[in-house]
Amino acid sequence: MIKKTEKTKSGSVLVVGGGIAGIQSSLDLAESGFKVYLLEETPAIGGTMAQLDKTFPTNDCAMCVISPKLVGAGRHLNIDLITNSELVSVSGEAGNFMVKVKKNPRYIDSEKCTGCGACVEACPVSNIIQCVEEPYVRLSDGDLQKVRFILDKYIGVKGNLMPILQQINKTFNYLPSDVLRYVSIELGVGLSEIYNIASFYNSFSLTPRGRHTIKVCMGTTCYVKGGERLLDKVKDEFGIDNGETSEDMRFTIESVACLGCCGLAPAIMVNDEVYGKVKVSNIMKILEKYK
Amino acid sequence: MKNINERDLPVQWMNWISKREIMTRITDIDAFEKMSGKLQKQKDPNRKSVCVCGGSACIATGSLGLIDLFEKEFKAHGIEDEVDILVTGCHGFCEKGPLVVIRPEGIFYPMVKKEDVPGIVKETVIDGKVIESLLYVDPMTNEKIVYEHDVPFYKKQKRLVLGQNGLIDPMVITDYITVGGYKAFASVLASMTSDEVIDLIIDSGLKGRGGGGFPTGIKWKLCKNAKGKIKNIVCNADEGDPGAYMDRSILEGNPHSVIEGMLIGGFAITASVGYIYVRTEYPLAIERLKKAIEQAKEFGLIGDDILGTGFSFDIEIREGSGAFVCGEETSLMHSIEGLSPEPSQRPPFPVESGLWGNPTNINNVETWAVVPLIISNGSKYFSDIGTENSKGTKIFSLVGKINNSGLVEVPMGISLGEIINGIGGGIPDGKSFKAVQTGGPSGGCIPASLMDIPVDYEKLAEVGSIMGSGGMVVMDEDTCVIDIAKYFLSFTNDESCGKCASCRDGSKAMLDILTRISEGHGKPKDIDLLVELGEAVKDASQCGLGQTLSNPVLSTIKYFRDEYNAHIVDKKCPAHVCKALVTYSINSEECIGCGVCLKNCSVGAITGSLKAAHSIDTGKCTKCGVCREVCKFNAVIVE
Repeated sequence: MIKKTEKTKSGSVLVVGGGIAGIQSSLDLAESGFKVYLLEETPAIGGTMAQLDKTFPTNDCAMCVISPKLVGAGRHLNIDLITNSELVSVSGEAGNFMVKVKKNPRYIDSEKCTGCGACVEACPVSNIIQCVEEPYVRLSDGDLQKVRFILDKYIGVKGNLMPILQQINKTFNYLPSDVLRYVSIELGVGLSEIYNIASFYNSFSLTPRGRHTIKVCMGTTCYVKGGERLLDKVKDEFGIDNGETSEDMRFTIESVACLGCCGLAPAIMVNDEVYGKVKVSNIMKILEKYK
Repeated sequence: MKNINERDLPVQWMNWISKREIMTRITDIDAFEKMSGKLQKQKDPNRKSVCVCGGSACIATGSLGLIDLFEKEFKAHGIEDEVDILVTGCHGFCEKGPLVVIRPEGIFYPMVKKEDVPGIVKETVIDGKVIESLLYVDPMTNEKIVYEHDVPFYKKQKRLVLGQNGLIDPMVITDYITVGGYKAFASVLASMTSDEVIDLIIDSGLKGRGGGGFPTGIKWKLCKNAKGKIKNIVCNADEGDPGAYMDRSILEGNPHSVIEGMLIGGFAITASVGYIYVRTEYPLAIERLKKAIEQAKEFGLIGDDILGTGFSFDIEIREGSGAFVCGEETSLMHSIEGLSPEPSQRPPFPVESGLWGNPTNINNVETWAVVPLIISNGSKYFSDIGTENSKGTKIFSLVGKINNSGLVEVPMGISLGEIINGIGGGIPDGKSFKAVQTGGPSGGCIPASLMDIPVDYEKLAEVGSIMGSGGMVVMDEDTCVIDIAKYFLSFTNDESCGKCASCRDGSKAMLDILTRISEGHGKPKDIDLLVELGEAVKDASQCGLGQTLSNPVLSTIKYFRDEYNAHIVDKKCPAHVCKALVTYSINSEECIGCGVCLKNCSVGAITGSLKAAHSIDTGKCTKCGVCREVCKFNAVIVE
């Protein structure tokens, strides 16, 4: 019985997506003896990480991490790269899948190409290679109007990225990725640079936030007077962690360094309203009025 | 409780500001002097006014609601034209907010409630009588105190910078001019050269109030003499130190003093643009600053060709976005430039190559606010106060386990004990005083035994702490120093930008050790390891954050080694704070079985029937502390 299934198993694996995760899984699988087909939509593997300057949280250079893996995946005898292709259908069951792949035309015979780059230099139309992924932005008319309103105020001003991000964060209550993409194109600033800044500051959020934000002060004074217990209480009550949003989008919980209301410690701030001398026993009552 | 955004400010406030404004652009110095003199003369010293504190803390306790009521009462008695109502900046005594002061007598009512307003108007404002029941009671002597200047909290202070906070409305520029505002700037324009201004500041001995303590005048001189056509000045209002809020208070209470300081600085350094970098957590400060700058522009005090002298200067506000490291000058500049706010190597110092490569002079809010005072009163006025190397006054935010928490401004060299007992009124609930933490996450803990040391830059550094921006968090016997060290490290570890490995990973390693100790898994060698790590992080980090983050740990080890040993060897937390080392129980003799704790316990760890002693199931207890908080009979014991 076992033998029979063993026989029908093909012993090869298809990895869909040639980003860092796909490359690493392919390498691991290939090392352990599987034949790997690495499928990638764009003409080259590497994905987003290859476009980044540094990686979080260690600030390591992204290329230094990924490039040995790129080369490894390209050279490995057990890995077949199928780039510029899309997955059309999958059928069968575990151990024996049948996969249909649509290979998009390159107009270049990849068997013969040596990668010398002469065609790129000779081509009179520039920017084709650099712009591998068409920068597409899907913004609704309303969103577009809001973003334009912000951008028009600041375009051409020195050091405008921070105020723009702040305004977007205020308008949308977080930084939507499509909006950032649009800003990146409009300002001519790399998306990685924008993300570098957007992820640095505490008050920017990359995920949608709740209708109300509870900021629990974790300043020294509030801490000494039991601010942490307030934080624990709201975290428990809504079942979410610091920085997360409750499922019904009602509250986002954040701890902040200091609200500057040390005379009223422990303090919390809901949206823009400050409440002083809050107790574990009355914090929920305060939050009741925020629906 | 009212919202503190401008859009929601009371309508009266807005109407009333526009009523009192005389917006005309002033084009020469003489005209300004004339207007200033006229405003000062017009002011009737005997005119009655009710000053309600409009600082953030008092707003949070409902002071804006009082203003509406006062207006209504005035109308009801028909005295709205005879008595002014002022929404002032922070008075400093935040513990007792909302504060109301009736001038010219200076009758002081703390913690005023809405229902007190009709009585205050009828008896005090109209009849001039003092309402005994509303007066402040000194916790030390139990005496009732009538006048603001007699309250011990204010009496022992020397309020140079904060003095005007309770007298003027921060939203009205003419109020500031009436108390002599912008006169210093006008006199600088009229009769001084930029070198004279710089020399005056050098003579005064003013040192940076933001923490570093670098002599301000010398910094100005370096910036002025630096190569570069365009020069910038920056006001650092990214007050990130937890436990310090004097900058917020100045910006909210007297924004024009900061603007005037920057104008004088801009003139001295020959700069043309000034940036104020405010943290986003201070929405009210930002609103008031915006309003102040707008008014100064309309008066022609900011802009091109100021007062017809040819000096041009513009001020812009930049908002931070919640990153502690942005208080560090190089990272602040990167943030203004829109780059990733990581600090960079110095030299070159900002005075040589700062914002966009131009020479840039950065000073703290408090430093800028002191400048006009020095100019108008002379350098000796300032240098006479304080100790040999630390001149003038300094604002501290005295907070934590203390009776009178709030902002205090004291001359340099005053003893720590005087601040804590004399002004702060000692520790509440009869607890004993343990330590005071100064200088925020970069500072250290000073134990009770060193209460006699004078407070100045040098002495604080000597005992292992720093002046910093002036946070002073008082701790009593219920505060665990290991918990505090852990708290500061988790803060700095979180806020480290990650550029230097020593800071990024060093703080993490130290935090791990401290967490281990607080959970009862500490090893005897841990203390030495912490000291070694702490010194290494200090030496190997690039900016102030990394260089000082080990101070809270090193100073607590220095003064409270016993407590570390208690955690490591005896597995006990003497202050009963570290959760893993304490248990909650109910004293059956004290418990009357009221059931309040049972109702409040969210995990159902408390059992017991009504009118019989309750008990806590330690297996279920999460040590959240609610039961202890709600118990009126002190029956919940933590051991």
